[in-house]
Amino acid sequence: MVKKILYEIIVHEDKCTGCLICQLNCSYVHKQIFSPSEAFIQISNQYSLTPKILFLEGCTHCNQCAQHCLYGALELKEVEQ
Amino acid sequence: MEWHGYTGNILNVNLTDNKISITKENLEDLRQFIGGMGMNCKLFAERFKPNIDPLSAENLIIIGTGPLVGTATPGASRTVGISRFPATGAIANSCGSMSFGFQLKHAGFDHVIISGSAEAPVYLLIWDDHIEICDARQLWGSDIVETHDALIKKYDSCGTIAIGQAGENLVFSSLTLIDRTSTFGRGGLAAIMGSKNLKAIVAKGSKGISIAHPKEFNKLYNNLFERIRNYPHRESWHELGMLRSLPVGMMLKASGQKKKARQCTDRFYLNKLKKRRIACPSCPMGDKDILELKEGDFTGLINYTSSVINPFLMFIFEGLKSYTEAIKTFDLINRYGLDSLTMVSLLEFCNKLYKKGIFTKENTGIEWSADVNTFIQLIEMITHRQGFGDILADGWNKLAETYDDIGEEMLVVKGLDVIFEPRFLHLGTMEFEQVVNPKGAHVASGGSPTYVGAGSSKDKFIAHFKRMGIPESAIKRLFSPPFPEMIINVGRLTRYSEDWYTVLTSLGLCARAQMNRFWGLESASEFYNAITGIEISPEDLRMAAERTWNLMKIMNMKEGFSRKDDKFPKEWFKPLKFGVNELEFIDFFGEIKITHDIANQLLDDYYDERGWDNENGLPTQDKIKELGLEKYL
Repeated sequence: MVKKILYEIIVHEDKCTGCLICQLNCSYVHKQIFSPSEAFIQISNQYSLTPKILFLEGCTHCNQCAQHCLYGALELKEVEQ
Repeated sequence: MEWHGYTGNILNVNLTDNKISITKENLEDLRQFIGGMGMNCKLFAERFKPNIDPLSAENLIIIGTGPLVGTATPGASRTVGISRFPATGAIANSCGSMSFGFQLKHAGFDHVIISGSAEAPVYLLIWDDHIEICDARQLWGSDIVETHDALIKKYDSCGTIAIGQAGENLVFSSLTLIDRTSTFGRGGLAAIMGSKNLKAIVAKGSKGISIAHPKEFNKLYNNLFERIRNYPHRESWHELGMLRSLPVGMMLKASGQKKKARQCTDRFYLNKLKKRRIACPSCPMGDKDILELKEGDFTGLINYTSSVINPFLMFIFEGLKSYTEAIKTFDLINRYGLDSLTMVSLLEFCNKLYKKGIFTKENTGIEWSADVNTFIQLIEMITHRQGFGDILADGWNKLAETYDDIGEEMLVVKGLDVIFEPRFLHLGTMEFEQVVNPKGAHVASGGSPTYVGAGSSKDKFIAHFKRMGIPESAIKRLFSPPFPEMIINVGRLTRYSEDWYTVLTSLGLCARAQMNRFWGLESASEFYNAITGIEISPEDLRMAAERTWNLMKIMNMKEGFSRKDDKFPKEWFKPLKFGVNELEFIDFFGEIKITHDIANQLLDDYYDERGWDNENGLPTQDKIKELGLEKYL
């Protein structure tokens, strides 16, 4: 039996740079268009002192957002099944 | 037709009669002129009248962005603005970053053409199909940070271009900030907006950008993204930003200011100043800074900047005694919407003339002293055009006209102060390009292997030349300088630096070293083809860039510019006292002292490499015909 590895995303809002790469990849993978407003992850107060990261209903936990976050704001952590 | 990458739309806004319309782009134009910088030039050339007052309603502002902007293409977020600038009288493109171009694309526009002048203060709102000229009387008199914050409060996530009090008061050295962070429009773009009563432009979009060939794009994107992910210096760029490439502390130490140098180290920045790293949309190598003062008289001050090196560079001015004074002064300059580099140059120049007795308390109204108080007083007087500040607010050219015999001593080209000093950094393309840039002294378009921090061995040069798409046939000429010891011909190479910059800027790509290094002419054209579906070859792309640069030159030829304006500052030929050292004007490899004859030879070589007439420094009829630009003469 092949063991399936699951991940959860640990969010570090203080590391978010507001680059929106997570949103762009999410909308492109799921809607085939680059459109932050259609992403299942939303970044608000993008360039403020306190950015906010929110996952919306419809998120499939595909982890594309975290896989493309190079700043450490979305950390992929292996979880036990 | 179905548009990919491009939106295909140009927004036209006339502020005099509140007229708003949308026109369509056509494919034939886009084969000749690419994206933000290319189409900006074409649209401007078709509409402008020579010799108009830059601060009159007749002047246009065209803001554009490239076909790669709005996608996840790494580093694609440039905003480009073209106008006739008051500081120089030249027509030039200016570039900024952050989110305005990104939001503009998502709202459905590649370009915005702003004409006329509003009767009372307004701001322009571009929110998908909702285009509105809004009342800005409440915002007039606010600084840039206050203006941006008010607009964010009203519209939530959006991109802003805003002016401060300096722009409102038509100060020639004013600029705008995008998202209150990225400088945009050195040479007086904010004054042009101020003359139109245009306080800000807001873009907010939700339309999305589609890709013509997803399969090809995915392959290109994944390969590039993995290269960036695996770049060994990526994390240190994230940590230090531009401080990584320009060690200001070393410069301060060399200038003899050791105590101040200790306040510009990596560790000092990380412990005492850095609040948060921010990045432009799609950028995996973000370098913008939010800074916070944690001690001293200005504790709690928050400053937004395109890089910490901006306030650190001001610190070289001996009158600023501590880093807190530098940040406080820089923040004031930013909020008013002034050019920090110009402010430092002006202050240093005024101090020099004060010491010579040319400027006195009597004729300037200022009790001159090389300290922070004089600096702040000068900033206030320029911003609000008070007394002597009113003369300085009209820029270097006016200052040179007002006082006899001081123009020769200015470190200025075409009305803009030089940024990179070749007596300290040697004569690379960035330093040389300040002389030939139609805009006046500027550094962005001079990037090549000779920019700060890049390797300088011959092999590295050749690898870089190939990446920039320099033809094989030119490489021998680039290694033929006036004297063999110079190794590289900086005059000839500058032509290709400008073309490469034009490629990146037209597509919307960042030209800063840490992103630029991942791009080549070939990969840029592959991305363009996959995203837009418009097939062009790398040579077509390079040619479009050359066409754009030549068109910009033709427009400035009509404004009366020629070789007589491509002047090396006379001061460069004199030694520069720097700490205990006297620095000479020498070539990039530090072997040959640059004389007037060598400088002129390099100018000849630049024009020759461009295919221009070296008598007048302008495009020849043959070059104009080759590029199909006859109709713009």
